[in-house]
Amino acid sequence: MIWHIAKRELYDNLNSLRFALTMVLLLGLMLTNAVVHLQEHPARIQKYLSSVVDARNVLESRADSLYDLARKGPGKLYKKPSPLHFCAEGGDTFLSSAVEAHYYFWDTDDLGSFWRMQYPAATPNLTNIRPDVTKVDWAFVIGYALSLIALLFTFDSVSGERERGTLRLILANSVPRHTVLIGKFLGALISVNISFALAVLINLLVISTSSAVHLGADAWGRIGIVFFIALLYTCLFLALGLLVSARVQRSAVSLVILLLTWVTFVVFMPSILASIASGFSSPMSADELQVRRYQINDKLWEEYHQKTGVSKLQDMQVGSRLVTQDKVEQDRLIEKRLMQQVEQVQRARSITQISPAAIVQHLLESFAGTGFERHLQFLENAQHYGRQYSEFIVETDRTDLQSLHLIGVREGMSQKPVSPEAIPRFEDTLSLSKDFNTAATELLLLILFVVVLLSSAYLAFVRVEV
Amino acid sequence: MLMTLIRRELLDNLMTFRFAAAVFITLLLVVAATAVLIKDYERRLVDYNTSVETHQQNVRKRQTYSPAIVRVYVDRPPNPLSLFNVGLDNRLGNEINVSPWHVPSLWDAQMNSSDNSFLNIFSSIDIVFIFEVVLSLLALIFAYDALAGEYEGGTLRLVLTHPVQRGYILLAKYISAMLCLLMPLLMSLLLALILLTTSTSIYLTTDDFLRVGGIILASVAYLSVFYFIGLLISAVTRRTSTALMLSIFVWGFLVLVYPNVVLATTAPQDTSAERGASAFGQIKQIWEEFDRERKHFLATDPVPGEDPMFDIDSPDGWGAGDGFSENRLTLSYYYWSVLYYNGKLTEESLPRVPHAQNYYGFLWRQIIDTADQTWLIRRQTLEDIFVKPALIDRILLKLSPVGMYDAATQAWTGTDLKGLQDFFDAVRQYQRTVIAYLYDREAFKSRLWFASDETVVDWDTLPQFSFERSSIGTNTKRALPDLLLLLTINVVLFTIIFLIFIKSEV
Repeated sequence: MIWHIAKRELYDNLNSLRFALTMVLLLGLMLTNAVVHLQEHPARIQKYLSSVVDARNVLESRADSLYDLARKGPGKLYKKPSPLHFCAEGGDTFLSSAVEAHYYFWDTDDLGSFWRMQYPAATPNLTNIRPDVTKVDWAFVIGYALSLIALLFTFDSVSGERERGTLRLILANSVPRHTVLIGKFLGALISVNISFALAVLINLLVISTSSAVHLGADAWGRIGIVFFIALLYTCLFLALGLLVSARVQRSAVSLVILLLTWVTFVVFMPSILASIASGFSSPMSADELQVRRYQINDKLWEEYHQKTGVSKLQDMQVGSRLVTQDKVEQDRLIEKRLMQQVEQVQRARSITQISPAAIVQHLLESFAGTGFERHLQFLENAQHYGRQYSEFIVETDRTDLQSLHLIGVREGMSQKPVSPEAIPRFEDTLSLSKDFNTAATELLLLILFVVVLLSSAYLAFVRVEV
Repeated sequence: MLMTLIRRELLDNLMTFRFAAAVFITLLLVVAATAVLIKDYERRLVDYNTSVETHQQNVRKRQTYSPAIVRVYVDRPPNPLSLFNVGLDNRLGNEINVSPWHVPSLWDAQMNSSDNSFLNIFSSIDIVFIFEVVLSLLALIFAYDALAGEYEGGTLRLVLTHPVQRGYILLAKYISAMLCLLMPLLMSLLLALILLTTSTSIYLTTDDFLRVGGIILASVAYLSVFYFIGLLISAVTRRTSTALMLSIFVWGFLVLVYPNVVLATTAPQDTSAERGASAFGQIKQIWEEFDRERKHFLATDPVPGEDPMFDIDSPDGWGAGDGFSENRLTLSYYYWSVLYYNGKLTEESLPRVPHAQNYYGFLWRQIIDTADQTWLIRRQTLEDIFVKPALIDRILLKLSPVGMYDAATQAWTGTDLKGLQDFFDAVRQYQRTVIAYLYDREAFKSRLWFASDETVVDWDTLPQFSFERSSIGTNTKRALPDLLLLLTINVVLFTIIFLIFIKSEV
């Protein structure tokens, strides 16, 4: 019986104006997405690869001296662009694409400061005076278009039948009400997803036939998950549509309620809530960081001047301690600021989860390997590599028996050149299991939303008076 | 007769659920957004004030010209009307160096902000954006059944049995719906203004209120365009359900899809990179010519010694440096030079001092001339590479009423490209004033340029930067084309609807 009703709904929908319009809209959006991706992605990959090679060359040119390697650090580390950039752009223009190891000379003595990882401010391109736009990625198509379409397919499914009087007819038969509801739900779900699946297929066809962009097995798995999330998200809005439609007498009123809810939750809620939530905490500002760094510097230099001047060896020992101590404390300070900033953003993001649109945005970002969570992964990779690099320096120095093992002083370290190949390489990786872990709670939250809305739609429909 | 019709329609509309919902949702969104925006503006203002203070301190604590001139910065204050339409206001740089070695432009500005830069991933919302999305939707919701409903219900036939002109019916529907739609618009703006005036850090002048009036005007025109679109659909389809469906899709296309899709497909061209590279080469060449002349000057000079210091020494410390600085992306290339001594000069240095004075007098005249010369090339190229594509984008956006409305309101608030360019023009003007001031005092060839052993610079006479946002007349002139465009569309749509309605059979 369910199938019977679903089939009836489906035929009704397929012949309707809204289905045709949906088809045109989704196809247009998805084609644009594919074409733009094919235009931009090869250049993005090319830029990443050439930057990585350049950075590596700079690093290897320092291999003559272990001291230089130790002081100047690993140079620039680049974030690997995701092949699924077209699924979710994830505000990548606002996140820096690299972290950089900075170093500078102190202007007294011949002691140099050690490198430290800097997380450059992700200033949006200041030369860009083009108008602001949202990227047309899958996240946009799903988040905005698909949800609106889902509402348009269900707003009149109960109230419309009641207006026309057909609801009385259906319920006069010996069909349980939940069967009717599920039938309607399935009918709408299938008709929405026929057009969406078709649009997705054409999008993927265009992208995968191009030789410039290659999608691996992992990427296809991710696309599958993204499609599943889109399905869940459609269910959510279909359920919402059914709920309102069952509660309200007239379909026009139902649509007004649904549209206004949609505008509030999908268009405005995420950014307004994020702005409100980010106002609750204020991380260390750049000026404050500067002041505290100078404090550390002054304190260490004072100690240095007190203890030096006895013998050359002791001076070197004190110098080595100064340099390493400075690096440790500066690193700690910079990481503390980074942590505070990350916490602020994460708090804002978790509050925006009231809006299902934001949840889906986050989910799509994590599975597409873009956006904020991905950026955090990249930062973690870079920090891990930083430690590995420091260990490499110490290890190399230890193998040289002539060295005094005073890291941070030129004469105190191994004088042998280092083999360029031996320097560890930075490999930025994307891992699906990690992404799944970060996304699990959001996925559950989304499912919860769907279940709650579906059951309340059921309750509302059971109590409907014809 | 018209009054009776309007009264009937108005009562019909006011008593509906959609009117209550419209008022509620607009008020809610605008108030929430305004509260957030005010806080954001206040933070930007604090940043601006600290930044101005720091920059002034940096200049004032120097005793000689050279190290201070390097540190003359101008800060861009946040625009209080950016709450209405933020435009480019917090996207472009807000502090800019006005040292004489380059002509400052929009592309040389830096961003100075105490904010957590990660927060940029959340898009910001201004009041006009809320109107753009919500008001257009409401206009369509009010319009979809205005004619189709009457066709279906058969009431139109009833009305037309009376001796009423059809134009009157249309006009009555339009006026009453617009009155209903104006209510949420005006109420929410009023609330926003009340919130604004309770904030202690935002001062709105009389002109600002007039500009807000301009925004209201643009909003009304925008609303009316969407109401007419809805009415047109309603008149053509004659069925409420079809009209509603079509309206929502048209809305989704015009408001959400079109602006994003059209800009995604117009990517910047590769030719601009070549154009930039060739201009950069020219600029570099001019500066190399300058460098040859500089070296020639030094070579033909009677006193030996190396620039930039000429072996002048001071026991109290000094700082010196010079060199070329470049940024290929913004086509910036210039020669910089700094020299200062912290106190007394050594005895043996003194004979060289007039010589250094002579050199710096020559050098800076050259630098300023060369900077002017290269600016001509640079301005033209920047215009071609950055401004022209941006203007084309804006024209493409204007194919949707949303783009026109956005452009018109940005022109009123002064956060559009022209408004921002006004600021940078003022900065260039200020730099001219500073250079004239320095010439006037013969600062470049004075001993005070680098040495403070005899006197110190009195910074109180240094001209101060001040910037007035463009006058309301200029705003009007800039907003007028888009406003007129919106009005034209209104008239055209009304005529079409009128013709369809006149000819239609009941």
